Amino acid sequence: MAKNTVVKKIDWLSIVFYMLLVGIGWLNIYSASVPVEEIGAFNINNLYGKQLIFIGLSVVLILFILAIEAKFYERFASIIYIVAMLSLIGLFIFGKNVNGARAWYGIGSFTLQPSEFAKTATALAFAKYISDIQTHIKNFQDQLKAILIIAIPSILILLQPDPGSTLVYSAFLFVLYREGLPGLYIFFLISLAFVFIATLKFGIPITLAVIGTGIVIYYLIKRTRNQKKAHKKKIKILPMILYFVTCIAVSGATSYIYDNVFKQHHRDRFVLWLRLENDPVKMQELKRDIGYNINQSETAIGSGGLMGKGFLQGTRTRGNYVPEQHTDYIFTTVGEEWGFAGTLFVVLLFTALLLRLLFLAERQRSQFSRVYGYSVAGIFFIHFMVNIGMVIGLLPTIGIPLPFFSYGGSGLWGFTILLFIFLKLDANRGNDWMEA
Amino acid sequence: MAVTDKSIVNRLYVVAGCMFLLAMAVFVKLIVIQTVDGAKYRELAEQRTVKNFTIQPNKGNLYSDDGSLLATSVTRYDVHFDAVTSSNANFEKHVKALSDSLGKMLGKNSAGLQQRLRKARRNKNRYYLIARNLSYSEYMRLKNFPLFNLGAYKGGVITEQRTVREYPLGSIAKRSIGYYRMTSDGVVKPVGLEQSCAAYLDGEVGHRWKQKIAKGLWKPINDNNEVEPRDGYDVISTIDIGIQDIAHHALLEQLEKYKADHGSVVVMEVATGEIKAISNLGRSSDGSYYEKKNYAVGEAHEPGSTFKLMAVTAALEEKVVDTSYMVDTEKGVIKYYGKSVRDSHHGGYGKISLAEAFQVSSNTGIVKTIHEKFSDDPKRFVNRLDAMNVAQPLGLSIKGEGTPRIPHPGDKYWSGIALEWMAFGYGVKITPLQTLTFYNAIANNGEMVKPRLIKEVKEWNKSVSKFDKEVINPKICSQETVDKVKQLLKDVVEKDHGTGHRLYSPNFSMAGKTGTCQKDYRDKSKLNYISSFAGFFPADNPKYSCIVVIHEPDKSIGYYGADVSGPVFKKVAQKIYTSSPLIDTIDDLNKVNEETLANYEDYYKKAQTEYKTIPNVKGMVGMDAISILENLGLQVEVKGNGKVANQSVQAGEMIQSNKKIVLTLS
Repeated sequence: MAKNTVVKKIDWLSIVFYMLLVGIGWLNIYSASVPVEEIGAFNINNLYGKQLIFIGLSVVLILFILAIEAKFYERFASIIYIVAMLSLIGLFIFGKNVNGARAWYGIGSFTLQPSEFAKTATALAFAKYISDIQTHIKNFQDQLKAILIIAIPSILILLQPDPGSTLVYSAFLFVLYREGLPGLYIFFLISLAFVFIATLKFGIPITLAVIGTGIVIYYLIKRTRNQKKAHKKKIKILPMILYFVTCIAVSGATSYIYDNVFKQHHRDRFVLWLRLENDPVKMQELKRDIGYNINQSETAIGSGGLMGKGFLQGTRTRGNYVPEQHTDYIFTTVGEEWGFAGTLFVVLLFTALLLRLLFLAERQRSQFSRVYGYSVAGIFFIHFMVNIGMVIGLLPTIGIPLPFFSYGGSGLWGFTILLFIFLKLDANRGNDWMEA
Repeated sequence: MAVTDKSIVNRLYVVAGCMFLLAMAVFVKLIVIQTVDGAKYRELAEQRTVKNFTIQPNKGNLYSDDGSLLATSVTRYDVHFDAVTSSNANFEKHVKALSDSLGKMLGKNSAGLQQRLRKARRNKNRYYLIARNLSYSEYMRLKNFPLFNLGAYKGGVITEQRTVREYPLGSIAKRSIGYYRMTSDGVVKPVGLEQSCAAYLDGEVGHRWKQKIAKGLWKPINDNNEVEPRDGYDVISTIDIGIQDIAHHALLEQLEKYKADHGSVVVMEVATGEIKAISNLGRSSDGSYYEKKNYAVGEAHEPGSTFKLMAVTAALEEKVVDTSYMVDTEKGVIKYYGKSVRDSHHGGYGKISLAEAFQVSSNTGIVKTIHEKFSDDPKRFVNRLDAMNVAQPLGLSIKGEGTPRIPHPGDKYWSGIALEWMAFGYGVKITPLQTLTFYNAIANNGEMVKPRLIKEVKEWNKSVSKFDKEVINPKICSQETVDKVKQLLKDVVEKDHGTGHRLYSPNFSMAGKTGTCQKDYRDKSKLNYISSFAGFFPADNPKYSCIVVIHEPDKSIGYYGADVSGPVFKKVAQKIYTSSPLIDTIDDLNKVNEETLANYEDYYKKAQTEYKTIPNVKGMVGMDAISILENLGLQVEVKGNGKVANQSVQAGEMIQSNKKIVLTLS
């Protein structure tokens, strides 16, 4: 009975998007990893073979997720969250160091990346906390607790260090905003990030002068408006001053953070991204050395042209020019072999999935499901944005996988679980009140 | 909830708007990359995937005149070990056997090797050096060792192949055959024949455009652009390794004896100008000698008395004197413009003929003659030298020929005493090979031929080009003059008072001129000598010409040309004489033959007889005795050498198979 309901009520459109993305993703992994002498044959030990196994196991996972009672996810959210956090902490003791980050558990030849699952756990816990009848998002203490739920995994992952996966947790800020967190918070955080970047690029005096001028103009506008209104409210000057002082502090601390907290390879990426180096020769060297990935990926995508070179015909892909092409840079294969048409299709597919998720989230009756749905959409969006932005040189190089496309079992399963828990919740939406 | 519906919708729009904006940015950037900048990137991609491959040709070989290898290219193998790639099971199973095999092959301790291999695996060393410079057969052997026979992936054996140039003669004639060396700017360049024949030996590289289709895999794009590589030709040089060997060792022996700084010897075939041997040895800091520079070709120096031949030939050819012209050597010292010319013989030689002055190498005698006959018109003398192609660059195939110099009236090298000093070989500069070319012309009855090192260029068995003799000057002087100076040169060795008489041998004839030239004579404390001997042999109907020049012999041991350089000349001449049937004039060769014949007849007689008892082998040559006795089934043990003095089993005893017999030779 329950199964029938699921089959009938589940959002098949999302599943179609999911299957298309996974399928196209696998084709590109195949193209990026199959050696020329193996075309036509099938080698289960090669990357594309393994990915196919991961996909097969995903199907099992999906059936499992859909079979579990929907209420389980809400009731056990806290426990799932705690287990996930413990698994992140455990990495510092038992983790396997790969490329300088302790982000994996190694079980034989098999590796598992708990941060991929921590996203789902955090989303569940976050949704449960926000939807709790006791929680008032306008309440400062509750805001703090909500942020703590996000902050714990962020910090644990940042310490691995895996700044890319950390960035994903900023997705929850969107959700918080949607659920009523004052926009000021978001504005505050984003503006401080801008202060940091602006200070790097333009220096302290110009940055602070611009911010100061902005605040003064804001104050003047407020006052002019205020004078026209009948009920004159007192304009609070203190927050503006406090904000400016914070900006001064951030701006002043910028060079210290940049020099001491960031590592050289982070700095190189900033230099490259913000064109901080004035010497054109050195800039060229940086571009060649540090910007190699970007260079190669832009070349690969750009060489695809309108219709692409065709499946398995991408010389850049086949020639293994782009490093990490099967993982973070898989989008270059799409660009090269399928051209603008292919990238457009993939971008549209992701957009369609995101819009569908937002639509589904908005129609949820339970706040838990809705918040969770927003979180899922936010997480997918960040991944999608940052990954493609990085690959096409819009953003600095941040290692973050493209959902369903990038090679890797943990990633694929993480995203699958994330998505299908929401689809299960959505399929169950009619029963909410009946069972509650 | 304190949030109104309207504000929720607004917030949703803000979130969606942000997402939309960011998505637009991605979208615009994609369009820019793929359409606006697309052409640029396509070109970039093309550039990086298409490469012009160079196909290296095989280098040709360098042969001596009889076809012995002087230089060839061989493949060498460097083997490394990827200690990580093999599985634990395979590594543990084979590591001991592998260490044993390697130990045996490389002559190392097996246990130590095993320890190092294990350490390499522990340290995850993927490039552990096993052996360098293996030959093909060694490499094939190593490839079949346990673990390595599993191949690159399972066994972890990494092979790098390279082509190296090998010189079978080793250090002999190294400088003239040539080799590859790193120049100061880091380019590897050949010297010697390797360099001069590079155009033939190198071949031409081929080209092929290829496209990268996968990691490490390139496929040719099309056939149009291809240039097929052409393998290098083989070059057959004029070097005779037999003569080269003699010359090298004779020079080395003499350099070592006199602790000289450096020296060279060149042997040339008179009729053709083919250089049969060229050896240049210089002393290294540790006192040993090796082929350092090509002194014979590159070093122009004041020749000293060997130049008297040119002076006297010029005078004779100008018909201003004859060999019987009498000259007063004036007690051995004559001053010109305040500078003295001295004879090495203290007190001079009194009044002697020009011929005698030449034979005893009297400086005063020759100088005075030239001064008397040419001082009113030195140009005439110099012009005659030029007409005889004395001291002119030869235009050799080997690079770096030294520039000769003869002062001419009016140029900056000319001075009041230039003519006189030139007469005994000072103030002029000439390389040993240029001197030899003149001596060779005299030996060749006036026909001056160019010294050559290359005989033929071949592509497999097909001749590409043949080099015949090149005549520089068909007749440098009249036959009359040639005959006269030939006699003079012959007398230097044959006459009792000749400076070269110490070289005299009744068995074969040689002709030549000694030279003992002062070097750095402007500073007495640094005074050194260049000892030389140039000439040809046999004296009548000469076949080879030869020059020996030795720089800075230890003065306390000796420095005269006849003592220092002469023996090298003699040894070369003697050895070529006795080993070359063409010029066989040795009388006592028959004596050896008679003795051998007698021995052989004795042996033959005994060998033909059928024995039932042990024969008497006393007095027989040891080898013959052994041969006979072993043919009878006996076990022969030999003590000493020479002829059989005693035999342990006496003649007449019955022959028993495998019986031991001891022969005492003396």
